[in-house]
Amino acid sequence: MNHSLNYLLRRLGFYFIAAWAALTLNFFIPRLMPGDPAAIIFARFRGKLKPEAMNALRETFGLTDEPLLGQYWSYLKSILQGDLGISIAYFPEPVTSIISSALLWTIFLAGFSLIISFSLGTLLGTIIAWNRSGKLDSFLPPALAFIGAFPYFWLAMVALYIFGFELSWFPLGHAYGNDVTPGFNIPFILSALYHAALPALTMILVSLGGWMLSMRNIMITTLGTDYIAFAHAKGLSSRLIMLRYAARNAILPNFTGFGMALGFVLSGALLTEIIFSYPGQGYLLLQAVRAQDFPLMQGLFMTITFAVLAANWIVDILILFFDPRTRK
Amino acid sequence: MSYIHNSILSRWITGIIQNRKAVTGVVIILLFIFIGIFGPFITQDPTAFLSTPLSPPSWEHWLGTNGQGQDVLAQTISGARQTLLVGFTTGIMVVLIGALIGGISGYYGGRIDDLLSLLINVFLVMPGLPLMVILASWLPPGPGTLTGVLVLTGWAWNARVIRSQMMTFRSRDFVSAAIVSGERNIRIIVIEIMPRMLSLLASSFIGASIYAIGAQVGLEFLGLGDVSTITWGTNLYWASNDMALLTGSWWTFVPTGLSIAIVSFALTLINFGIDEVTNPRLISERVWRENIPTNKAINGITPVVKDHE
Amino acid sequence: MILKKLSYTILISLFIVVGCENSNEIKKRDGLIVYQEAQISWIRNFNPLSPAGSARWPTLSGIYEPLFIYNSITGEYVPWLALDYTWEKGNKVLKMLIRKGVKWSDGEPFSAEDVAFTFNIKRKHRALDTRDSWGYLKEVVAMSDTIVKFEFKRIYVPGFDALATQSIVAKHIWDKIDDPVKFSNPSPVGTGPFTEIIRFDSQLWELGKNPNYWQKGKPQINKLIFPTYPSNEQVTLALLSGNLDWAGAFIPAVDRVFVSKDTVHHKYWFPLTGHTTFLHTNTKHPILSDVRVRKAISYAIDRELVVKVGMYDYTEPAHVSGVSGPMSKWHSPYLDQAENWTTYDPGKANMLLDGAGFIKDETGLRYTTDGHILEFDIIIVSGWSDWIRSAQIVSQNLKNVGITAKVKTYDFGAWISRMQKGDFELAIGWAEKGTTPYALYRGMMSSEYLQPKGEIADVNWHRFGLASADSLFREYEQTSDKNEITEIIYELQHLFIEHAPSLPLFSEASWAECNTKYFSNFPSAENPYATLSPNYPPENLLVLVNVQNR
Repeated sequence: MNHSLNYLLRRLGFYFIAAWAALTLNFFIPRLMPGDPAAIIFARFRGKLKPEAMNALRETFGLTDEPLLGQYWSYLKSILQGDLGISIAYFPEPVTSIISSALLWTIFLAGFSLIISFSLGTLLGTIIAWNRSGKLDSFLPPALAFIGAFPYFWLAMVALYIFGFELSWFPLGHAYGNDVTPGFNIPFILSALYHAALPALTMILVSLGGWMLSMRNIMITTLGTDYIAFAHAKGLSSRLIMLRYAARNAILPNFTGFGMALGFVLSGALLTEIIFSYPGQGYLLLQAVRAQDFPLMQGLFMTITFAVLAANWIVDILILFFDPRTRK
Repeated sequence: MSYIHNSILSRWITGIIQNRKAVTGVVIILLFIFIGIFGPFITQDPTAFLSTPLSPPSWEHWLGTNGQGQDVLAQTISGARQTLLVGFTTGIMVVLIGALIGGISGYYGGRIDDLLSLLINVFLVMPGLPLMVILASWLPPGPGTLTGVLVLTGWAWNARVIRSQMMTFRSRDFVSAAIVSGERNIRIIVIEIMPRMLSLLASSFIGASIYAIGAQVGLEFLGLGDVSTITWGTNLYWASNDMALLTGSWWTFVPTGLSIAIVSFALTLINFGIDEVTNPRLISERVWRENIPTNKAINGITPVVKDHE
Repeated sequence: MILKKLSYTILISLFIVVGCENSNEIKKRDGLIVYQEAQISWIRNFNPLSPAGSARWPTLSGIYEPLFIYNSITGEYVPWLALDYTWEKGNKVLKMLIRKGVKWSDGEPFSAEDVAFTFNIKRKHRALDTRDSWGYLKEVVAMSDTIVKFEFKRIYVPGFDALATQSIVAKHIWDKIDDPVKFSNPSPVGTGPFTEIIRFDSQLWELGKNPNYWQKGKPQINKLIFPTYPSNEQVTLALLSGNLDWAGAFIPAVDRVFVSKDTVHHKYWFPLTGHTTFLHTNTKHPILSDVRVRKAISYAIDRELVVKVGMYDYTEPAHVSGVSGPMSKWHSPYLDQAENWTTYDPGKANMLLDGAGFIKDETGLRYTTDGHILEFDIIIVSGWSDWIRSAQIVSQNLKNVGITAKVKTYDFGAWISRMQKGDFELAIGWAEKGTTPYALYRGMMSSEYLQPKGEIADVNWHRFGLASADSLFREYEQTSDKNEITEIIYELQHLFIEHAPSLPLFSEASWAECNTKYFSNFPSAENPYATLSPNYPPENLLVLVNVQNR
């Protein structure tokens, strides 16, 4: 048990370093590039804002001429206090309040589709690896690989056009219908699921192949090992061998991949959200970048990073639980 | 010593040549590279205003015109050049950096490994697409920026895989023997180990190229590339800008999308081939009808290598 | 097998959900659904004074109201919270007569006190004074319940526009607010036709009628509904599927995309605004400082093609005066004697360039006298696709007369910073806009705004100053006489045409679409009582009080 705790703490330490690196990058990237946020605000008025008003505004936004290192220091300090500053584009709204609802939608959509895609892919991978002379093994991998070869946003746009616009099977955007009230009630939950369906389906479609193939290949390697042969020799039923012996061991590497994929999916939902106008973080990020809203951009990048790190740590814990070898 | 490498290499190359998937993939890729290099010399001027915007395919314009009245065929062909250039350049750089950092980390171990694998892992958990979006939006748009951004956000995965394999080789007898016989580390890495990692490096390169093409097209689609140049990504950006689907102008949308899909699929085929040559067990057992060679099972991407924590 | 089962399960479960959703789709429309802002989630902010302009639409044109509304179609001020105005003491004092019987939405009476308070709060918090009214104002006082007196520090008649169109806030609410700059005003109290926030979710909000509105029987519709639409593509989808009644979005090939889907109800109106998009020429550039080169570039541009390709033929080639459409009434009667350098005449362009000493070689490229290739960069904001397209056509046109022009795109921040600092050669951009062409010409030729390269200039990016124009600007600012104003504008116009400080490219149009299935009496070319575009507060008030249920 001590070992496990030690392992988890070591991982936690690593995540702290990663978080710090992300924060630092986050701080320096926008500041080392050209462009002045005050000029952007100024430009919103297309020349109407006079220098006197602009100087007053600079102060309000806290755009100081302090040396970079000093700014960096106060930036780290305010983040530790949970203060992400005031958004420029949504002035005077604090960044935290803009991000909070968006984060939930992203986690819902991305988490939902990742879990389905991972379970379904792993299941299919197990089945086709077990039944290697079956039709599925010859059909599914190339078909999914071909679908996966299309740019994701391309497929998503075509899907939105066909199933959303032409056939009206799915809504054209948003996270829930206009006639439901957000809250814990059945119509809202149904509406949210319905609105997530098409974006989730497209995400699942393109990612399914990867999970299936990696599971298939690991399964094939596992099936060739001695203990499987031994299990066969013992006369255990093939279903039992497939699930309890082979799949359970093969799933571990796939699980590590799951942790990695979390990052990709959380951030990859960006394109999905843009195409399906889903009110998540990704779309907000693009908007913040376009408006050069530093505080919002930093806040978003930070929350996405933290979400990915937290998810990875949870996967670490799960692996510990599934794989006795790490517990030694 | 060198005959060993030759035999490894030649066996590998023979394997690839005999693998139908890999050959199909290579032929398609070569075709696209050929088109990318020579195509723009024979097509109409892709930047010129030639005909009514969004006119459907006709004899003058085989794939119609886009919203700017430019020839879609010419645009698709000249788009191939820069997209593939950025894709493969990124692929090469990602593998080089991955091999360098992953290789050093895995070979030397100890403190160096601790430090480098920390670096690798930090970049692995950093959310890539948002970082790309932020970087691409700040830097002046263009192929150089795109390559830089893609390399920065993409090298870590390869470094991790290469590090793992380097660690396995490091503990093998032939390396120990070489060290005992007093060979220099650099020589051992370059002459002894790298040829044996060829298949991994090749599949890393292909994987990275697929990633680079996809991510590049995605960024350009968001308008974060240089939209005044002609690439597959900007073609799609303009198509979406002109609401190609709503206007029913499928010809501005489909050719480029299909080209990207075919190139990525061809690259995936090559990777499947490499995997099968390296690990013949992955080949499907089903008996194939000979007349549909492309329908053959496509197996296996590189399995996720478990990290040595 | 498994796949089959799975697809059945997915299909069935989807149909169940689709089933319960469809019943909601066929409900009666009880509010006007509007799109004006590209947003993915709503932030509750109704501060009409907000310097960041981050208040929700229609804070400035539905919740709060100004003293006068400038109608961009008729070119006139419509009395609103004020009934009339007079200039006194040699244009140093402006008095406005305030309307009686207006109430705030909370039932409190509105008076001249509120007007004076609104201007004085901007004096106290300079960040709120985005149009720098206190640069020329000395004091603003309510002389009675119905008269407000604006006293000027210096005579500045054009300042009227900023004063007249200011949204007025309630004194009894805002004098309790400590920091009006950071105030988000979540529950607004206004004098406008719509003031009651019925619902506010991140994805949808609804604005109901003002129970105490001063115009009897108005507004004629129950409420306004605002769903979030993040992009033009989404707006178009919503318009096509009938889920949106009024929008101000740019839709390519609008006849084919939008109108053809329902020719009876799907309407659009893209009127010219009178203003112009420019190809700015940096007159501090050693070559572009030569007026012959600027005019040659202008002659080389096929504006018809630019408009056709870059702007989907929604607008028209620019007029050489820089104003058009509703502003055409300011065109000088002597224009036929002036040089019309916005016509497409490559021959003339070549002649001018030859005359300026830029010689063509056998490949058709021109060189400067010291042997450098004649080339310019055209800088554009990345993502502003209509301008990028236009620039690409301009670049092709220039190639035909031997000038190499490269289109370079920059992120908005980098672009605006280059423009302001004069760090560009050619660029497509906007120019100053006003209720008369005075604003445009002042931005084009006034030495007052002239800054050296590297210093930030908020207008006059092309850096051109003309002493003879400066004295005309002074004259204009002193007078409120219509005839005098017109004469000055004519003179400025001829100066502009003579010197070509920057090149008008195409006229600006405003984008607006509406669906008349549930609502009627939207403005249109046949009924042009205001602009249809919701992007013009406070003018949109005119639409909001006139739209009716069908």
